[in-house]
Amino acid sequence: MEAPPVTAMPVTGGTINMMEYLLQGSVLDQALESLLHRLRGLCDNMEPETFTDHELVYLLKGQQGNPFILRARRSLSHPTSPWHLRYLGQPEVGDKSRHALVRNCVDVAASHSLPEFLNEMGFRMDHEFVANGHIFRKGAMKIVVSKLSRILVPGNTENTERLSLSYLVELSLLAPAGQDTVSEDMRSFAEQLKPLVHLEKIDPSKQRH
Amino acid sequence: MSLLSSFLYFSITIMSGGPPVSVSIESSCEKQVQEVALDGTETYVPPLSMSQNLAKLAQRIDFSQGSESEEDGAESEPKDREWSKEPEEEEGTVKFQPSLWPWDSVRNNLRSALTEMCVLYDVLSVVKEKKYMALDPVSQDPAANKTPQVFQLISKKKSLGTAAQLLLKGAEKLSKSVAENQENRRQRDFNSELLRLRSQWKLRKVGDKILGDLSYRSAGSLFPHHGTFEVIKNTDIDLDKKIPEDYCPLDVQIPSDLEGSAYIKVSIQKQAPDIGDLGTVNLFRRPPKTKAGTQAWHVKLEAAQNVLLCKEIFAQLSREAVQIKSQIPHIVVKNQIISQPFPGLQLSISLCHSTGEKKNHKASPEKPKPDDHLYVLEHNLHQMMREFHKQQLSSVVMPHPASAPFGHKRMRLAGPQAYDKSEISSLQHNEGLLEKIIKQAKHIFLRSRTARTIDSLASRIEDPQIQAHWSNINDVYESSVKVLITSQGYEQICKSIQLQLNIGVEQIRVVHRDGRVVTLSHQEQELQDFLLSQMSQHQVHAVQQLAKVMGWHVLSFSNHVGLGPVESIGNASAVTVASPNGEYAISVRNGPESGCKVLVQFPRSQTKELPKSDVIQEAKWSHLRGPSKEVHWSKMEGRNFVYKMELLMAALTPCP
Repeated sequence: MEAPPVTAMPVTGGTINMMEYLLQGSVLDQALESLLHRLRGLCDNMEPETFTDHELVYLLKGQQGNPFILRARRSLSHPTSPWHLRYLGQPEVGDKSRHALVRNCVDVAASHSLPEFLNEMGFRMDHEFVANGHIFRKGAMKIVVSKLSRILVPGNTENTERLSLSYLVELSLLAPAGQDTVSEDMRSFAEQLKPLVHLEKIDPSKQRH
Repeated sequence: MSLLSSFLYFSITIMSGGPPVSVSIESSCEKQVQEVALDGTETYVPPLSMSQNLAKLAQRIDFSQGSESEEDGAESEPKDREWSKEPEEEEGTVKFQPSLWPWDSVRNNLRSALTEMCVLYDVLSVVKEKKYMALDPVSQDPAANKTPQVFQLISKKKSLGTAAQLLLKGAEKLSKSVAENQENRRQRDFNSELLRLRSQWKLRKVGDKILGDLSYRSAGSLFPHHGTFEVIKNTDIDLDKKIPEDYCPLDVQIPSDLEGSAYIKVSIQKQAPDIGDLGTVNLFRRPPKTKAGTQAWHVKLEAAQNVLLCKEIFAQLSREAVQIKSQIPHIVVKNQIISQPFPGLQLSISLCHSTGEKKNHKASPEKPKPDDHLYVLEHNLHQMMREFHKQQLSSVVMPHPASAPFGHKRMRLAGPQAYDKSEISSLQHNEGLLEKIIKQAKHIFLRSRTARTIDSLASRIEDPQIQAHWSNINDVYESSVKVLITSQGYEQICKSIQLQLNIGVEQIRVVHRDGRVVTLSHQEQELQDFLLSQMSQHQVHAVQQLAKVMGWHVLSFSNHVGLGPVESIGNASAVTVASPNGEYAISVRNGPESGCKVLVQFPRSQTKELPKSDVIQEAKWSHLRGPSKEVHWSKMEGRNFVYKMELLMAALTPCP
């Protein structure tokens, strides 16, 4: 039986070229209720959705300097949902006037054997954490308000410790490459959330120290 | 005065500041009372006679004094002093000796009285002017008030009542004015109106403009219309003139393509012979009805939202009409979509949008054609669109884990579970709005045509009777009706034909009481033929049931006899029953087209010519049934078939 031919060209179409537009901010625990109320009013009319996720960050250290990072995430509140594997590229260095952080994003759903597969491929888990909070939606925009907790014993998601006394607020949007107008919508939405939370683009490369 | 003994009348002129005042004097009492007797009679002192009076007067004269002496001058000084009060004394005033003139005291008293009166008059005239003097009441001695208590109570009550009335009137006026003020403020206040608007519609502030969103995007719609309206202040009001009743300080400006009102008209007609006059549906007869109490902006915004939804529905329908491949292609012309659910029938869906006040007067003198606007389907279109919106917002779309993109939950499993193309296509909704509405229209049409068929049969044929019981609870794609075929008067006996018709989208499924299932197509003729065949079968079944009741024996029964002329609709059925004593037999053959044929078989002994034969020896064989004769059924008495049959059976059963 012959092996099917392997296409040498990389896949370029479909969901490969999606860009993620991101704005981030944070609120203290005391301000969470008012923020949730405001989001409930501004966003699409749905029942509020809570989530509890467990994310593992895998690194592939190559010979070059920058390791290759993959994020594997599963839902603890919906155990039967598939795992979600995500690759986030470097933020695009475009014009400074762009309001949101833009980076290449590849999203893949995976079965429950994902951690073993990544281990077999050579990835090593760098760190893991548990995030729980609320998720809202307005059109194509997604707003996630989450509390991150550190896992004390690797593999044990019950034993967690809160990392900070605040909640992380992320406004994100997935769009095909080239659509820059969506950042305008994101900015106007972020304006409406002031002064409760200031959402701005935070360059992750500048955070490393 | 005791000096006077008789009536004396003279006048004294008193000189004072004013004009001379004449005073008349009259003696008060004439006679003095000397004694009052025990019985009340008074004895008067007899009056003095003339001589006695004179003597009395003479005693008074003091002859020792002269008329003008120095002592007079000394005595006249106090007189002068007296008289100094009146500086306007005229000359030649007669100086009387004060002790001698008996009227002096009278004169003095009168003068002082006059003085008092003049003073009083002056005081009153000054007080009347109220400029220099005012009167104050003097508190009265309460002991002097000897009025009875009832009067006091009544008077107090009355006074309190009047005071209360005044206070109430004042309070009423005050509260009325406050309420009026509030009313005015409420009606004229822009901000309170804006608050009301905000409680029902989405508003946001952009710069110095207030914009709102009347689209369904936050409810899950994907229509690209922005649906933005602007709130403006209504300042063209002249405050001096009377404010009109429907004045509103707030006005909304809706996008120009959403003005007016719209609705979607769904109708089923016979197929138009030519295709030339399509796309001209612009009839509009629904006037906008406004509920009392709703603001003008609310009505305007609602109408604009309705127009937007109708546009979205029509855009979705026309998109599907173009994309979906069907056997008979749908035609999309201007504001109309035409498709063919059944041959010979045309379904037209059109968007009727009338803008503004100027109605299309060509359409108003409407032809009185029957209103074939299917409101149910229009409502269903709206409902289905809203359901589609809701599906976009369902929690099935929300990602778990949270970092995953939006999308249906089951589609996310396609990768890990390695679905193939057929599985994926089965997951996706493959039935669009247009297909659904066409199916519903087909069902509605089929149902109405079935009802019409049954009703026409029922009115045309009296024997047997056909009854239809429609079920109240139906589906959009399925309805059911129970059809009973009975004979009048014999419903309890002959109830063997009961059909349950399930009317679907394109077919009618018939379930018989005895379990047979027949599927009929949408053709009207098929149903009619079927019902006619069932009716003819019913007659034969009725004979069978009747025989059981009457005690007759059923010799043979067949639903579909193979003998006799061939029927074009269904098959003929036949039954043979024998009388209780076996002498007579009735045979019935009933066909939907050929009608009924009844034969009676007599015993041999009743035939006119009895064939003599050597084979038959004994007489008992003559009791067997022999030849049969046909009954002139139309001349038979009885109002329906079963009644006639009963009479026949009764006639053939001799009384013992």
